[in-house]
Amino acid sequence: MPNVQSFSTLRARSYVFRLPLFTRLMVLAIVVLWLVGIQSAWDLRKWGALIPNEMNFFTAYRMNTFPLIHLNLLHALLNLLALTPLLERFESEYGTLTSAAMFFGPLTTIPAVVYVILERVIFRVNTPVMGASMWVFLLLSVEAMRTYKINPYFVIGTVQVPTWTTPLVMAFVTAALIPSTSFLGHLCGIGTGYLFGLGYLKFIAPPEKILRWIEGKLNLLRRLPHYVSVDQKTYGRFGVLPSSSSSASALFVGRSPKLQKAPPYISLLLIVVGVAWLFMLPLNDYSRRTYISENALLPGQVHTYFGGSDQNVLRAYRHEVGALENKTNTEINDKLEHMFRSMGLKVGRQNYTYTTSGNTVAGENVYAILQAPRGDATEAIVLIAAWRNVKGEFNRNGLAVALALTRYFKRWSLWSKDIILVVPPDSRAGTQAWVDAYHDSHDSRRVADLPIKSGALQGALALDYPQEERFEGVHIVYDGVNGQLPNLDLINSVTNIAGGQMGMGASIQHLFHHSDQYRDRLACMLRGMVNQGLGHAVGPHSSFIPYHVDAVTIQPVGQGWHDEMGLGRLVEGTFRSLNNLLEHLHQSFFFYLLMQKERFVSIGTYLPSAMLIAANFTITAIALWVKTGYAPEKPADTTTKDGKEDAKEKKEGIDAKTKVEQKKKPEETPVTVERELYLPLSLVTGCQFLGFVPLFVFNHAPASLLAPLFVVVTLLSLALPHALSFFLVTTYKPTHQQYQLITSFFLLLLGMFLSTLATLNFSLAFLVGLLATPLTFVRPFPQLPAARYAYSALLGLLNPGVVVLGAAAVATTSLLNGGSGLGVGPWEAVQKVLEEGAFGWSVWGMYTPLIFWCVWFPAWLVGSVVVLG
Amino acid sequence: MTKDKMSFQATAGTAGLFAVAAALRLLLFTAFPGLPSLLTGRVEISTPVTSFKRLQEGLFLYNHNVSPYDGGVYHQAPLLLPLFSLLPDPSTYPIFTYILYTLVDLLSANALYKIAESGEGGASRLYSSPRKEKRWSGYVVATLFLFNPFTIATCIGRPTSVFTTCAILHAVAKALSGNIFTSMLCLSFATYLSMYPLLLLPPMVTLAYDRTYNSKAPKSLAQLAVMCTLAVSASLALLFISSYALTGSWEFMSSTYGIQLTLTDLTPNAGLWWYFFTEMFDSFRSFFLGVFWLHLSSYTPALTIRLRQQPLAVITLLLGIFAIFKPYPSIADTSLFLSLVPCFRHVFPLLRYSFVTASVVLYGTFLGPAFYHLWIYAGSGNANFFYAITLVWSLGLSLLVSDLAFAVLRDEWEVERPEMRGKEIRQI
Repeated sequence: MPNVQSFSTLRARSYVFRLPLFTRLMVLAIVVLWLVGIQSAWDLRKWGALIPNEMNFFTAYRMNTFPLIHLNLLHALLNLLALTPLLERFESEYGTLTSAAMFFGPLTTIPAVVYVILERVIFRVNTPVMGASMWVFLLLSVEAMRTYKINPYFVIGTVQVPTWTTPLVMAFVTAALIPSTSFLGHLCGIGTGYLFGLGYLKFIAPPEKILRWIEGKLNLLRRLPHYVSVDQKTYGRFGVLPSSSSSASALFVGRSPKLQKAPPYISLLLIVVGVAWLFMLPLNDYSRRTYISENALLPGQVHTYFGGSDQNVLRAYRHEVGALENKTNTEINDKLEHMFRSMGLKVGRQNYTYTTSGNTVAGENVYAILQAPRGDATEAIVLIAAWRNVKGEFNRNGLAVALALTRYFKRWSLWSKDIILVVPPDSRAGTQAWVDAYHDSHDSRRVADLPIKSGALQGALALDYPQEERFEGVHIVYDGVNGQLPNLDLINSVTNIAGGQMGMGASIQHLFHHSDQYRDRLACMLRGMVNQGLGHAVGPHSSFIPYHVDAVTIQPVGQGWHDEMGLGRLVEGTFRSLNNLLEHLHQSFFFYLLMQKERFVSIGTYLPSAMLIAANFTITAIALWVKTGYAPEKPADTTTKDGKEDAKEKKEGIDAKTKVEQKKKPEETPVTVERELYLPLSLVTGCQFLGFVPLFVFNHAPASLLAPLFVVVTLLSLALPHALSFFLVTTYKPTHQQYQLITSFFLLLLGMFLSTLATLNFSLAFLVGLLATPLTFVRPFPQLPAARYAYSALLGLLNPGVVVLGAAAVATTSLLNGGSGLGVGPWEAVQKVLEEGAFGWSVWGMYTPLIFWCVWFPAWLVGSVVVLG
Repeated sequence: MTKDKMSFQATAGTAGLFAVAAALRLLLFTAFPGLPSLLTGRVEISTPVTSFKRLQEGLFLYNHNVSPYDGGVYHQAPLLLPLFSLLPDPSTYPIFTYILYTLVDLLSANALYKIAESGEGGASRLYSSPRKEKRWSGYVVATLFLFNPFTIATCIGRPTSVFTTCAILHAVAKALSGNIFTSMLCLSFATYLSMYPLLLLPPMVTLAYDRTYNSKAPKSLAQLAVMCTLAVSASLALLFISSYALTGSWEFMSSTYGIQLTLTDLTPNAGLWWYFFTEMFDSFRSFFLGVFWLHLSSYTPALTIRLRQQPLAVITLLLGIFAIFKPYPSIADTSLFLSLVPCFRHVFPLLRYSFVTASVVLYGTFLGPAFYHLWIYAGSGNANFFYAITLVWSLGLSLLVSDLAFAVLRDEWEVERPEMRGKEIRQI
């Protein structure tokens, strides 16, 4: 029995190349006819199928054409797979001429005639049939009869089952499993096959004498390639039996030098395809227009009433908020608490203290709960108006709008979900403390418990409106911590209400004037990916998303004619939509890349690009592992190879050096050797754990030291591979095999980490994968010092630390961050990035530093050591 | 206890190793105070029948004179309760629990050391491998066990399966040293705690028989088997009666072993049962429970007969099979299986899929928690994500089990056919 282990690409290839002539022609005919059948001008199937009622003298051609015509690709493919080996056996036994004569004659027409007669006379139905499956069953039953003569029974339990029944069983199974197969047609084929197998149809075979005569006269053996002579059968079915089989464990690659060389190219191809894939995404054919998936949302379907006299209320609140601008946190919260209480809301306050990078971030959140008149306090929607936004600007208008809205909402009786207004003093730590405590997953030493709570949070909207003027449109910020995203339906609703109902423009990713052309789409997508990859909180909403609470921040931007009331109506409309929800947002996508406010790609479309890049590491890792199992230079054991063809193939693909040896001992195969695992394993493990040192250092060092420390660590990490390599070479003298194993292990780990990461944070996996791609091709260059230093210089440029420093230098001089630059020098930028990393690690639970130091850095380190070896 | 002391003295070389292992565990316990409770909550470590959190619940009820099985949370053996109620409350003085679990790991490692030093893996009474020179010392095997990340994670997650692990390893070690009754007592303890180790009785009997075989006065295997069965039954009966005396009813039988037999708690875990029985129509439940248990127990006689010459290999393979197919498997079972695999260092060159197995298991280890996160926390995945990974995990383990079985058999076969050494063969 063939099984998966014995599958070898080499044998499969040589099998395909040795297919005899008639089999080839039939396969070709089936493929060609399938191709012809694709066009719709002429109905090939109607022309060629075996349709019982249309059979007359002039349509007798159908008896020969029907096996070659198939319904569709799958039908053709399956039949080809089944037919080819059977037909090949038949032909190599009986010869090409006989096969042609038989299959264009009796073996096709007899079952066809029987079928037509049965259909027309006995069953009086008219089922057209086509496809080679009739031949398949015919040949199967011929084989079964032959088996029956040698091996009449097989035993199931105590029951003896005659072996000739197997085709019948298969016909039943096929009829049961595959829809629209012609059981009767198969039976006709089986019947004919039995008769042929029993020898009753011998008389219809063309006389051998004539065939020999034709063959000899036309000299067919010379002229036709792959022709099987009539005489072939004198040699028995298989001719000469194949000798020993090739490897069982070689995992397809081990033995073939040609295939051994392929993996680097496959890896390169995967990288190229992965990157190209990403750049295809903004095209119309690969991205989709967004749509509202959750019908209950009904965005923009309600009339919004926030306006009129509420404007006076809003002005009053703005005045009061403005008066508080320079007060302390406690004073502000006292005042806000008073305001909330006067609206008739329940109020809670919560203290928090975080310490990161030697700085203490402390504050007090105040929040109010509006109890739903029509709800049972099991669900709630959150409105966030932080005192200061992420940039540290005073959110005067945002807070005023939120207060006026809350007062306005209190008057309505239609809320079925509680509304919570949260006012944190800042946009980074405060919301995190609040949402952690809301879900009871806070560290009570740093964050106080919440005195009052409501139900499960269904959605959150943050207002960020520091500017004083009227605005042109809203900017929707949606990235969550660790690259998690809110449900696409929420973004769609806000876009829909803002654009459709309020007539404001909506924009995302700081692209305020999106042309919806390829360039802008790509820019938008890449900015989204960078934000997602960094995984930091970009607004007060970000902290909500890890708790599966869909949230966005709305920022009014530009100079236009919309006033605060418009923003209020936008919030009102969105809240009315959220209020409609019967269950948590789940219909639409959680994994997507937006390339314009109304265009996205979903995970199924974009994930392959990151997975391909991760797969390139894995493929090289596997290939290297297989390679290390053989020692092609000094074969010690000899086994006979099958056939000349394999030996020829071996010679073709072998490089000059081994070719000489191959000529000396052409019959030898690579020999399995044991792998020396201790050094590679301990080196890779050691480097992997080494990454925890910088992780710890940068998460605990004081802020002022971060930037200088980072430069020092980067310089150290640049020197480390040289030191490590020197140490290895002088102490252990690693062999070539050990270097290959080291490469294999670290690439395997990298590939594994990245493919796991791709399911959690696609962009981070993609970016790290892309920056690590040169590691796929690392190898020691013992003879080429120039190549060694060139490659290690290239890797030096892609050192994680160097990349961060470079990115900081670029970011401060260019337009990455919202078109304005960071407004600081590179030194401060580095410090800012590191502070953000440490802050994210300890406050938001952001794992980007972990990926940076414990996935990327170790891989880079080991890769550099290998290059220098 | 004196015996243990002696063996500790005899293996003075391991003292350093044990000290390092203990220090590492205690360091992890104390340096990351959040880690134990995090790992205790992981479904890969804590199953309904071993979870430390559930033990706390049972302990609370027990200390308040309520039946620990009320409420349907606690499904573990009753005798664990007095043991843990002797310790100070884990929430206030967790260090005592940490020390206990560290000690149990060290005891297991000590048993493993003896198993590896006995050389039974390469040369048993009936069979001596041609490659037996190539083996790892007990020191290496114990190191591999103590520093296996799965073992460390298990120790820190504190499931009660570590006691079963310890009991099984001691049963093997005692059988190797010829103390049949101690061995059977250990096996009874393991059975009492987790039930499935009872299936290890036949290979344990053959192992004990082989190790106590005296060619001058040969006893019959059947006689020993009867004796062992009686010993196990007697000690189990004693344990059950004392459990009855402790809890005052036979309720514990259905709440501990009944749960394993009927799989009423469908909490996700690393095994294959939970998803299957979640999807099952109730009318088929009992049938498939029967099928699954029959499947699990059918390996014991088959392997014991086929590998009669190498009883330790049977035990190892069975532990691997249990780690895949038992109702509530966790990585504790995997670490037990992996701890015995290095005793077969001599057949490692015959393993065909070591790289594939290692990669698959590694992938399973990383993707499992990621997909569980996507399912439970992020809400963006579903149960199929996690189940797919448990399938991959089981595939990796079953590859290892079948590959090890192949290697052991191939090793035997090469004794019969020395001319085939080093040649590739194919299964037909």
